[in-house]
Amino acid sequence: MSENTGRLVRIALAGNPNAGKTSLFNALTGAHHKVGNYPGVTVEKREGSRARGDKEYRFLDLPGIYSLTAYSLDEVVTRDCLLDEPPDLILDVLDSTNLERHLFLCLQFQELGIPVVGALNMSDEAKAKGIEVDGTALGKLLGIPMARTVATNGQGLDALLDLVDASVSGNAVDGRSLDYGSEIEALLGPIEKAIAEDADFASRHPPRWLAVKLVEKDEDAFARLEAHREAGKVAVLAKKASDWIGRHFGKDSEIVISEQRYAYIHGACLEAVKRKEKGAPSLSERIDRVVMHPVFALPFFIFVLWGIFQLTFSIGAWPMAWLEAFFGWLSAQVAAIVPMGPLHSLLIDGVIAGVGSVLSFVPLIIILFFLLSVLEDTGYLSRAAFATDRILHGFGLHGQSIFPLMLGFGCSVPAIMSARTLKSPRDRILTVLAIPFMSCGAKLPVHVLFAAAFFPKNPAAAVLAVYGTGVVLALVSSLVLRNTILRGEPTPFVMELPPWRAPTLRGLLWHVGEKTATYARKAGTVILAASILIWAVTNFPAYSPTATERQSAAATWSKAHPGADQAALDRGVAAALAGKALSASAAGSFGHLIEPLIRPLGFDWRVGIATVTGFAAKEVVVSTFGILYGVGTDDGGSTSLRAKLAADPSWSPLAAISLMLFVLLIPPCFAALATLRAELGWSWLGFSIAFQLAIGWLVAFAVFQVGTRLGFS
Amino acid sequence: MHISELPVGAEFVVGRVLSGREVGKRLVDMGFTEGADGKVLRKAFLSGPLHVEIRGYEVILRRSEAAMIEVRERSKDAVPHV
Repeated sequence: MSENTGRLVRIALAGNPNAGKTSLFNALTGAHHKVGNYPGVTVEKREGSRARGDKEYRFLDLPGIYSLTAYSLDEVVTRDCLLDEPPDLILDVLDSTNLERHLFLCLQFQELGIPVVGALNMSDEAKAKGIEVDGTALGKLLGIPMARTVATNGQGLDALLDLVDASVSGNAVDGRSLDYGSEIEALLGPIEKAIAEDADFASRHPPRWLAVKLVEKDEDAFARLEAHREAGKVAVLAKKASDWIGRHFGKDSEIVISEQRYAYIHGACLEAVKRKEKGAPSLSERIDRVVMHPVFALPFFIFVLWGIFQLTFSIGAWPMAWLEAFFGWLSAQVAAIVPMGPLHSLLIDGVIAGVGSVLSFVPLIIILFFLLSVLEDTGYLSRAAFATDRILHGFGLHGQSIFPLMLGFGCSVPAIMSARTLKSPRDRILTVLAIPFMSCGAKLPVHVLFAAAFFPKNPAAAVLAVYGTGVVLALVSSLVLRNTILRGEPTPFVMELPPWRAPTLRGLLWHVGEKTATYARKAGTVILAASILIWAVTNFPAYSPTATERQSAAATWSKAHPGADQAALDRGVAAALAGKALSASAAGSFGHLIEPLIRPLGFDWRVGIATVTGFAAKEVVVSTFGILYGVGTDDGGSTSLRAKLAADPSWSPLAAISLMLFVLLIPPCFAALATLRAELGWSWLGFSIAFQLAIGWLVAFAVFQVGTRLGFS
Repeated sequence: MHISELPVGAEFVVGRVLSGREVGKRLVDMGFTEGADGKVLRKAFLSGPLHVEIRGYEVILRRSEAAMIEVRERSKDAVPHV
């Protein structure tokens, strides 16, 4: 991997979160970048390039991290990347307003033996805050060339790339590196030497870096050491050194090492950074006095959330209607071209209806992601974690779980994806598993239909009760999982609180574009396949009514609608026969097959069918009932279906509540399940499906049976 | 003494961080090292998280994590360390 044509420079872009790394990456690479995942993990991997003069720079954007320990996935990914495929240079993005902590990571990069260049980013903000950084002096003190940049407007990029050129050709590094003090250096020396004795190993593992990590008792470093010819000898030396440091300093060696780093940095900053005394409280602090009020932070958060959903659904209704109209037009066009028959039905009822219904959610997702990106880029997300951690922590969740969970009320797909912001795998799994309990937007039409049919006096209260049950079950199940299969020490909640920043439109659009593309790609593949599958099981085996069946359907319909004309009669008969066709299909057989299982919940075979079709998208449950009750798909949610349900003696208000809970709790739609698999893998997908099925069945069973005993039916 | 025992607005100096396991190491890496200066900015209701300034930037942390850090209050007229 280290082949170098002399013109190609491979650069790893690294740094702390909130340093403007993504902005710098975008400023450096323009539109030339691609986004993927690191193999096997859901950490995003971005690559891009830039040409300048006779050189081509290839940038790899590493995840934002605080240190190079092995405690978080992002840190492990960064470390593996730098050790296993060393770049020509590490470009470290530093926040000039918060240099000490940012340099803490920078100096760990330096120990890897790869040239490092520092971008003193946000230099405009630092200036405004009265912080004056002498980049040249700091660079000399640390042995890391530094240039001032403002990534948001591209300022300083050329000077930065000049430093990169000089460093790569070996003209800038003067070999200075962090000094841990004579006592620790005396211990590190022999370890470094012992590592270097295996030259082949040392060429892949920088001795200085590894020696420090071993003294820090880093488990991953010890695992890497296994490949050394004399691993045992080095390990003994390192353990002796850690023990000595522990005794001598009276604290753990890994803490001593970090403190020495900070002491070294503090010394350098005293010389190269000038800070004017702070005057009045900053604007950021004044905003926080309201938003992070010890008591009102939580109500404020609820208000923000309410605002987001109001905006999303009210603005989203317009483009959603346009898209629905477009797909209606499209299916009319296709219907005119393709003759009646299986292909006609596949294209219109399968492909267009399936993909169309999923794509019509794209505008909602774009708006939701846009608003969430605003919250993220301004810095509100961390404040929301502050407001909600107390409650969520009580149930084994994390303050940062709040946004994925709340997004779950909109759509599980982006919600599951957004759980990536949780750095601990255990917290992420727990959060993702709780998301299906949040009643998503597609389940709302089902709730509304049944609430209106069986609770005409107060449908809103019935819907709200269902939502509330979902939230309570999400919290309780998290608590249970946290104390059983996901047991473990609570993840530390130590979060940086970035100052409030005005988001840039470019940054926002970039976030939104990236996330929306992922969703749309899924709709194009998994959901297309799922739509076809569901179309097949609801249309085959094909049903062709006999003349007598047709006549009897016509007679029944005429009796119920005296005086109707021929066209109305045809429609009525077609609707009645569509219900029969669905009942005779594979999905219908499945419904009949599982009827004994769902009987105790108050349902018949129709719910069995709706369970299958609901896999495509939950709102399809409504149109399935429309077909089964012979009102046609066109006006599935209309009053006629409501009236028919209310008049059907096999339903009762109790069975309706049971159904709403059942639809809420059983596994979510295909799109959500596909996302869950992509994020957590097959085994967690299997677990989630089994878990939701069990809870859905048990809750519906308990509600219906207890309710019946109490005489509510 | 721990951060949660200090009143809002109090300035403190970090003493030592107990244990270098995951939480302790994370705290030290975030800048809670012996001698570092900090300030209590706010404390959430019902034993919720703390909002603290450390080394010139801001962090939020739970009281259970803050209990890993020994601090002493700095009197207002003392000479600042940073």
